[in-house]
Amino acid sequence: MRHTLLAAALAASALLTGIAAHADQLADIKKKGELVVGVLGTDEPATFIDPKTRQIVGYEVDLVNAIAKKIGVKPVLKQIAVAARIPELQQGHVDLVAAGLTHNKEREAQIDFSLTTFVTGQKAIVKKDSGITDVPLLAGKKVLTIRGGTQEPNIRKAVPTAEVVTFDTSQQAFQALQQGKGVGYVDDEAALLRSYAKLGPQKTQYVVLKQNLSTEALAIGIKKGESGLKAVVDDTLRELEKSGEAQKIFVKWYGPNTASGFQTRDFKLESDKID
Amino acid sequence: MPLFDYSLLLTGKYHDMLVAGLLLSLQLLAASLVLALPIALVVALLRLSPLAPLRWLGFAYVETIRNIPLLAHMLFWYFGAPELLPEGIKQWLYAGHIEAYSAIIALSLYTAAFMAEDIRSGIRAIPTVQFEAGRALGFGFLSTMRRVVLPQALRVTVPPLISQTLSLWKNTSIATVIGVAELMYQAGQVESATFRSFESFAFASAAYLTVSLAITGLATWYHHRFPVRTI
Repeated sequence: MRHTLLAAALAASALLTGIAAHADQLADIKKKGELVVGVLGTDEPATFIDPKTRQIVGYEVDLVNAIAKKIGVKPVLKQIAVAARIPELQQGHVDLVAAGLTHNKEREAQIDFSLTTFVTGQKAIVKKDSGITDVPLLAGKKVLTIRGGTQEPNIRKAVPTAEVVTFDTSQQAFQALQQGKGVGYVDDEAALLRSYAKLGPQKTQYVVLKQNLSTEALAIGIKKGESGLKAVVDDTLRELEKSGEAQKIFVKWYGPNTASGFQTRDFKLESDKID
Repeated sequence: MPLFDYSLLLTGKYHDMLVAGLLLSLQLLAASLVLALPIALVVALLRLSPLAPLRWLGFAYVETIRNIPLLAHMLFWYFGAPELLPEGIKQWLYAGHIEAYSAIIALSLYTAAFMAEDIRSGIRAIPTVQFEAGRALGFGFLSTMRRVVLPQALRVTVPPLISQTLSLWKNTSIATVIGVAELMYQAGQVESATFRSFESFAFASAAYLTVSLAITGLATWYHHRFPVRTI
């Protein structure tokens, strides 16, 4: 918090004296020889800790590694909480955020975004015996989700009367659903299917509601105005797409042979525009 | 971008969220305090009981609770304990405000362990001759406690109890982890909706500080108004 004030004070003084002081983050990254990236580490298969190696791995990690390689520095992953993603980036504690970050209009005022790295719908899962078959039926019911993301505003928008209870991690929220502490659980489709798959034989007791609460374009977060860094991030992503590597990485983490079980990839790493 | 956006705190949706959080925190404080005090008194008496098994029971309670972090208690009473209940009661509970109930239980039991020790110290501060005099007059253990020892002891105990209340007030913030929409929770919500971290947490800090100072003031006032009688 002090850093925000300090940064703001510095920015203000720079404006006053008419000095267009512009520190280039890309140059700083090259100088220190490492690219510090904020990741969730609890969001399988985007970023999670491999139980065997205790290393953070996943879809977003592969993308980040490619970016670090392109800049020619060492990637350093730093686990951060969902709600801390944007403040950590703004305060310069991390160079990039690759943490299931939704690219939306409100956030464009705060930070910049890379090309869209993943497109997902947000969905709700309910217990079959709750009798809920469609999103509007969640009205007046207790719905569980993760705190600090877009899940909560989206469910509130879709079903304004739902009583939303949020938790620090999606695991806690999903456990609360299993214990019956709410009728529904809302998350990104990929994460939701992953939790659903973990249910094993109990799967038959649950239903994933078909309707999308929203379509989310996920992207890598970049500090506002760091055009040099954004350019190298976007170039890396474009190259991954062109060489077919992006497709391979997708299949490795989300493809038909994974718990997510996506049959096709409906997006490309090509644009940083959102609707 | 302004440095500090007061309007966020004074009016509108975010103001309402923060105020709702503050009110819920105060409710948690009140409910937990009302429950913790009698439990603490009973536990303190158990620890001073002439019967060894009762003393052990009191000892076990205080030491188990005091030596486990409140966060663990909170998660246990939310995710663990209710699962052991019969299905019917469970469903009924889960349909209501299970988050707040679990938080109140965790906070009450936790605070009671500390308060019990304060009450016990207060009772032990009363010279044993007072107790013996009570017994000599023909009162039993409980009557002696009630008529002779406790009225004196509680006066000694009130300042440390108010200090425990202060801890309880700050501890209500831990209820955030089980999804109780108290002050810290709402500050977090406002932060993630607006990215105005400084404002939302400034509100929360100011609110905690104000209530804490009020509680401290109460302790000072009580100390002056009802000084400990020289024994």
